[in-house]
Amino acid sequence: MTIRLATCCCGRLRLTCEGEPIRVSVCHCHACQRRTGSVFGVAARYPKDKVTVEGEASEYVRIGDEGNEIHFRFCPGCGSTLCWEMPAYNDGIAVAVGCFADPGFTPPPSRSIYDASRRHGWVDITVPVERRG
Amino acid sequence: MTRIAACDCGRLRATCEGEPVRVSVCHCLECQKRTGSVFGVSARYPKEKVKAEGPSRQYTRIADSGFKVTFDFCPSCGTTVHWHRGREGWGPSDSEGLCVLGHAPIPAFPRASHGGRGTSYENAVFGRCSISQSRVMSTNSL
Repeated sequence: MTIRLATCCCGRLRLTCEGEPIRVSVCHCHACQRRTGSVFGVAARYPKDKVTVEGEASEYVRIGDEGNEIHFRFCPGCGSTLCWEMPAYNDGIAVAVGCFADPGFTPPPSRSIYDASRRHGWVDITVPVERRG
Repeated sequence: MTRIAACDCGRLRATCEGEPVRVSVCHCLECQKRTGSVFGVSARYPKEKVKAEGPSRQYTRIADSGFKVTFDFCPSCGTTVHWHRGREGWGPSDSEGLCVLGHAPIPAFPRASHGGRGTSYENAVFGRCSISQSRVMSTNSL
């Protein structure tokens, strides 16, 4: 079984992820742009019981566009957000793909969210993706 | 033009006057971990053109280049909004000023750095996202 480790910049907060993600998505919404400081976020969604969290985490909760709470966990030492969940959906845990620090991470994204409305004009996702918004 | 960069919860903000000196994307593994995305994007401004407001916490690391880089992030939501750099022992910042991260639409084309992390700059994100600008330079230095 594949086991991947995601860490924050300073290494205090770590996730161990077993198996393959359910799906990988990129999101161009403004909240993801602010959270990352990049121009889109990348998330790998796993079943919750396949992810183990170690280390100290701070929690930040915001209301998503659909009206539900999203709970983010970030490292209080360096600020990296490693994962987030939407309790209303109970559909797993999203892990920030950059925190795997693996440019060869697979699978590639299958969804590109807010693709038409919020994506920066100089960026394109060149694999086949389901484009939303 | 004045632009405001803000963290996700809005407590930490940076007001930026004028145009950035340059805009860069960086694919280094530290930027990937910091952002949780697959590259970081920064707009560099002269320090005197950026006014930061709100509470921040600092995280400092030594970059591959030997620069000490200090990141300011919001203690409430974790977003890194700006950073500055300086050579170890040279003081807290150098003359190039601040980098401001984030969402504000940026007029300048990005200049690549750390292209060596991927197979090529144009194939940066998992080899599957393109930066659609031909004038970018690929470099391994900040």
